[in-house]
Amino acid sequence: MIFNYVKIAWRNLTKQRLYSFINISGLAVGLAVCIMIMMYVTHEMSYDKFHKNSKRIFIPHASLKLGGSTINMEYLSFVSGPMIKESQPVVESYVRTMGYFKPVIVSKPSAGNEKISEDKLLFADPNFFDFFSFKLISGSVSDVLKKPFQIVLSHDMALKYFGSQSPVGKTIVLKTDSTYTYQVTGVAENCPSNSSIKFNFVASNSSLTTMKEAPQYLGMQNIGPGSFNLYLCLKHTADSALLRRNLDLIAKKDKSFDEEKFALSALPDVHLKYNFSDSSNIKYLKIFPVVAILILLLALFNYMSLSTSRATLRAKEVGVRKVSGASRKTIAVQFYIESALFTCISFIIGYLLCYAFKPWFLNVLDLKIDNSFLYSPVVLCLLVALLLLTILIAGSYPSFVLSAFKPVATLKGKFSKGTGGTVIRKIFTTLQFTISVALIICGLIINKQLYFFRHTDIGINKDNIIMIPVSNSFGNNYPSFKQDVRSIAGVSGIATSHYALFKGYDMFFYSGKTKNDKGVALASLVVDKDFITTMGLQLKYPSIMTIDFSGKNKVLINEVAAEQLHLPVDPVGSKLKSGDKVVGEFKNFNFASLQSAILPLSLSIVPDSSHYFKTNGCVLFAKINAHTNLPTLINAIKNRYSKYDKNTPFNYSFADDTFNEQFKAEDRLAAIFGVFTYITVIMATLGLFGLAAFTIEQRTKEIGVRKILGASVLSINSLISVDFLKLVLLAIVIASPIGWWTMNSWLQGFAYHISIQWWVFVVAALIAIITSVVTIGYHSFRAAIANPVNSLRSE
Amino acid sequence: MIKITNLEKFYRTEEVETIALNKLSIEVKTGEFVAIMGPSGCGKSTLLNILGMLDDPDEGSYVFNGIEVAHFTERKRADLRKHNIGFVFQSFNLIDELTVFENVELPLIYTGVPSSERVKRVEEVLDKMQIMHRRNHYPQQLSGGQQQRVAIARAVVNKPKLILADEPTGNLDSSNGNDVMELLTDLNEQGTTIIMVTHSEHDARYSHRIIRLLDGQTVMENIMI
Repeated sequence: MIFNYVKIAWRNLTKQRLYSFINISGLAVGLAVCIMIMMYVTHEMSYDKFHKNSKRIFIPHASLKLGGSTINMEYLSFVSGPMIKESQPVVESYVRTMGYFKPVIVSKPSAGNEKISEDKLLFADPNFFDFFSFKLISGSVSDVLKKPFQIVLSHDMALKYFGSQSPVGKTIVLKTDSTYTYQVTGVAENCPSNSSIKFNFVASNSSLTTMKEAPQYLGMQNIGPGSFNLYLCLKHTADSALLRRNLDLIAKKDKSFDEEKFALSALPDVHLKYNFSDSSNIKYLKIFPVVAILILLLALFNYMSLSTSRATLRAKEVGVRKVSGASRKTIAVQFYIESALFTCISFIIGYLLCYAFKPWFLNVLDLKIDNSFLYSPVVLCLLVALLLLTILIAGSYPSFVLSAFKPVATLKGKFSKGTGGTVIRKIFTTLQFTISVALIICGLIINKQLYFFRHTDIGINKDNIIMIPVSNSFGNNYPSFKQDVRSIAGVSGIATSHYALFKGYDMFFYSGKTKNDKGVALASLVVDKDFITTMGLQLKYPSIMTIDFSGKNKVLINEVAAEQLHLPVDPVGSKLKSGDKVVGEFKNFNFASLQSAILPLSLSIVPDSSHYFKTNGCVLFAKINAHTNLPTLINAIKNRYSKYDKNTPFNYSFADDTFNEQFKAEDRLAAIFGVFTYITVIMATLGLFGLAAFTIEQRTKEIGVRKILGASVLSINSLISVDFLKLVLLAIVIASPIGWWTMNSWLQGFAYHISIQWWVFVVAALIAIITSVVTIGYHSFRAAIANPVNSLRSE
Repeated sequence: MIKITNLEKFYRTEEVETIALNKLSIEVKTGEFVAIMGPSGCGKSTLLNILGMLDDPDEGSYVFNGIEVAHFTERKRADLRKHNIGFVFQSFNLIDELTVFENVELPLIYTGVPSSERVKRVEEVLDKMQIMHRRNHYPQQLSGGQQQRVAIARAVVNKPKLILADEPTGNLDSSNGNDVMELLTDLNEQGTTIIMVTHSEHDARYSHRIIRLLDGQTVMENIMI
């Protein structure tokens, strides 16, 4: 019997090609979106769960209060680990890691010691590979990080630097602050994509402690903030509450801050709940599943709507089957099987679509998902569950409706034209257009806000600025290099800062004098005096000509800093607690991001020959004339750079690119939203297409009679279209406030944002109206030009 | 075989109530060939639908093979129907997506006959109806007469005790119509009870008895000699 059902389903599918194509492709696209988002969400939720002890591993981090600001410190001092372990019996073991925060310069022995810049160097305790479940391909878990200057390479790095030969026992030269030679003791499998701990190289912590730069990393001799990530493996998961209380007691003894607290997060929660560095993807984790479910529901509804709108064609068959002995149940089963066939085909196409668009999707989200994860049992089970759920929903309404046909009526060619189905269809079409219009509104506003971000005046000159990081290898030669670059044709200004623009700043805390006088967290950049002119800073007090930059501890502050530090209207001459002397005040500019308000900022002015730049390295800013031949210019800078430093690869970036990178999260949102909007509009159009087909089929007789009585093609067209346009207009009315509210809340998250303008709603409405007029027009025109004799005869 | 007593059926719309069958009582014996005649709207088709358990009466009794079925549920009616009754329609009502063979096979599938047995029985009946050579064709590739043969083949394949025919020759020319009537007569002679609704006096003459209806009531019964 099932074979018979599949056979007839297949024949129906191939006979009604256009209908099958619309039905299958709509569902396939919906499923593709759903599968993709399901994989993404499952991947995000699976972070760090592959470690054998993941449930018992906790990460303490300090939460420091100073003045009005709370700062979360992910990093703890070197001694925190052993001290906590010693004092807290619930702790079974610990491991400390320190990710080297700057790129590492690696010499490639096979290429004449070519210098290559790498990231993800991790210093870790000897038990790192035992504590976590990262697999070693070669080397012994207990020995690889035992001694100073031992290093484990990731599989990729081993391949890159040693080719097919085993690197174990060989040496590799890495330059961090200084250059050191490490002995390779093992090769580890590449970190899984769902690991929050990422490494290319894992070096022993004992190397760090024997380096001459050790003191700056080891820090304090008590439990508190420092440079290390600390992972604690507890004896029992339930001990975490007790440990957190005990850590707070320890923290209370430390008086360096207004308040110091400890938070304890479970390792699997770190990625989603305590990700302080890049929280952009987490935003989507809430939005995407909702959108995915909506799109799948829209696709499913279209499927059901189109299937039942073809009911007239199937009614006779149902009648014949019932007369031949089929019960309602067997008919329902038949249509379920038919839906299952359609769904399975859609699912396969959806999966292939998902596979084809996966690289794009992952690229937009700036994500990597291991292939092994995509075929893991969890994902496969979810796929099967999705397929079954889709079949269950897709088949439900058609089998219910079609199996209810009365054989007597259907065999006579009349079948019930109940209004129930029409009402349900109308509700869903309105819903589809509501979602579409709301998404169009959101898409337009997101793009407008992004345009605003990119083109608004941030109070500083960020265009045509090249930023070149300079390492401490330059030593005393930096001022000469700077002058060399200045002399290149096309360079109109140069400046120095110890951070690249929009890439960071230091924070200093000034505690308040009284309870009401909250302390100030002051951002600080160390720059040379050329920074002011080259970057186009606007001075409020005094003019640049009158500032005396000679001597030490001279700072310029911005307006917010002057206000929060309660300095006089003209703050020149004021002394800060740090001992710095304010020599000027400049107008506020965005030095971090437009997402947040401008923070108090001080610029410490030092000469370019200062010891600070010499030891820490710095960034050279070169302002270039517009229309300069960039490749030639960059080549010229590179030539001069390599005169001074042959050990650090030349690198550069543009200030405006760096600025735009801050909107990565919003860019991704806009790109994904764009695709979702297109898909929903297409779904809604297909839904309307189905509804129009259904309604016109029901009104064939009416249209025939009207034509015989003299109705024109135009009047019949408008008669049919008006009914549908009412639904679309209703959708616009519902969607507009929803879109406005959603986007208004989204915009509130940015300190600098656009105001929502009325034309956005008009454009969205026009898109919806034009799309629907074209869709309905196809059917209504065909109905209007049809010969009325045929339609009346068929009745 | 069939005994209906005081059967009533109404069709209601919001404002109008139409009486299709008005306290109708009829009895049909096993092996009989009965024709039902009457003008349009007299209740012929309604009666046939109730007899075929495709529809249920509003009032009255319907005893089929000694069982009162007037108020059976749809599931029970479907079950009784598939084992006992075959249908032949004016418009053939073949499924366009199925071949001749598959159309005829349909009732056997629903009564759970095993596949090998089905092939045997379908071939047997197609042979008897002389359309074996068309077994792999689709309905739209056949003439009207051939389509009605397929429909009759489908009606008899399950060896029903009763065949209900609703104007079986209505869509056929006279020659094909006569063939169909011959087939029905043969079936009746082999023991199948036949109740046929028709407008055609010519066709009615093939039956043993004609029941004439008007406004949902029997107005006359003719015994054919």
